[in-house]
Amino acid sequence: MKIPAKVFRLFILTLMLCMAGPSSADETVDTTGNEKVPFGIRDYDIGLAHNFTLHDVDGEKFELEKTRGRWVFLHFWASWCGPCREEMPAIQKLSDEIKSDKFQIVMINTAEDEDTIFEFLAALNVELSSLMDIDGMVTEVWKPRGLPTTFLISPKGEIRYQAIGGRDWGKTEYIDFVEHLIKSTD
Amino acid sequence: MLNILPILVVVASTHTVLPITVKTPELEINFMPRTPNQLGSFYEARGFPKAMRDLLSKQCFITVGILNTSKEKIWHDLSNWQFSVAGKPIKREHRDYWKKRWQDMAVPLSKQSTFRWTLIPETLDYLPDEHEGGNIILPFTDQPISLTATFLKGDNRQGKKITIQTDKLYCAEDPQ
Repeated sequence: MKIPAKVFRLFILTLMLCMAGPSSADETVDTTGNEKVPFGIRDYDIGLAHNFTLHDVDGEKFELEKTRGRWVFLHFWASWCGPCREEMPAIQKLSDEIKSDKFQIVMINTAEDEDTIFEFLAALNVELSSLMDIDGMVTEVWKPRGLPTTFLISPKGEIRYQAIGGRDWGKTEYIDFVEHLIKSTD
Repeated sequence: MLNILPILVVVASTHTVLPITVKTPELEINFMPRTPNQLGSFYEARGFPKAMRDLLSKQCFITVGILNTSKEKIWHDLSNWQFSVAGKPIKREHRDYWKKRWQDMAVPLSKQSTFRWTLIPETLDYLPDEHEGGNIILPFTDQPISLTATFLKGDNRQGKKITIQTDKLYCAEDPQ
């Protein structure tokens, strides 16, 4: 029996739709195809990020401009800030989950010394390193809303999002969001 | 027209110095007075110079936490906070005043920075469910302090005005 072409095309289309199924990326986009922004993260499209140069606790020099081509998770913190302490393990989890050379976590300690930073991170048993904004001047220029604050910077060096206060970055919704950002710029 | 909304003051302790919470349908504001000993310990642990700590220990420190419980943006501006004692206004020093004091005392920049981050911002837009806070510094008094503060709703500060009022703020003193 010959199957009419119109029916055959409809059958193939239905089959393709069934095979596609839901994907994790689909769950992180809204109906317009944009990223679904999780709770506590606000659009913050204010243009190019201020460049800065700082050293980390190991003495390594870091320059923000050299991160172009990657999404940068720029996190301001201090040891005396309670929510910063609570948030660190979640940032470690995010770091563990996102294994991509298109994503980099950059921590900036605000106005504390090397010993304080080292002891704080060691006590929390996290493997995260941190830059040292010893005189607090980089933090002054960036003007986070408070501590902690995280900025998400696009591979083009543009500030795109700001996270308000401490967030549970280890939760699926945040990991999916970051993964979607990375995929969207592949 | 200024709308003074119903305010619920929750007394959280029966000690001399009371942390209090002021609630409106849109905001929840916590006031936690800090003793000179608490402040001294905090700043000493962070290597603040003695002269700086001595000056701060003579002030009245109150840690304020503000939570936007509404579905709209709410603007806070400390210039719209009026403090008074026994009907007479008292002045809350602006962060620029402290900046000048620290500069005059040649306080290291790192300590100046940390100090600034412990203060509540002079102005801030609170998004729905956002909680931010920090310290306010008043001249020390053993009398109850009254506060009337106004906030504005809306993206462009053109929405409803919210006013809160309390007469139950106190400076905390170290136990005798």
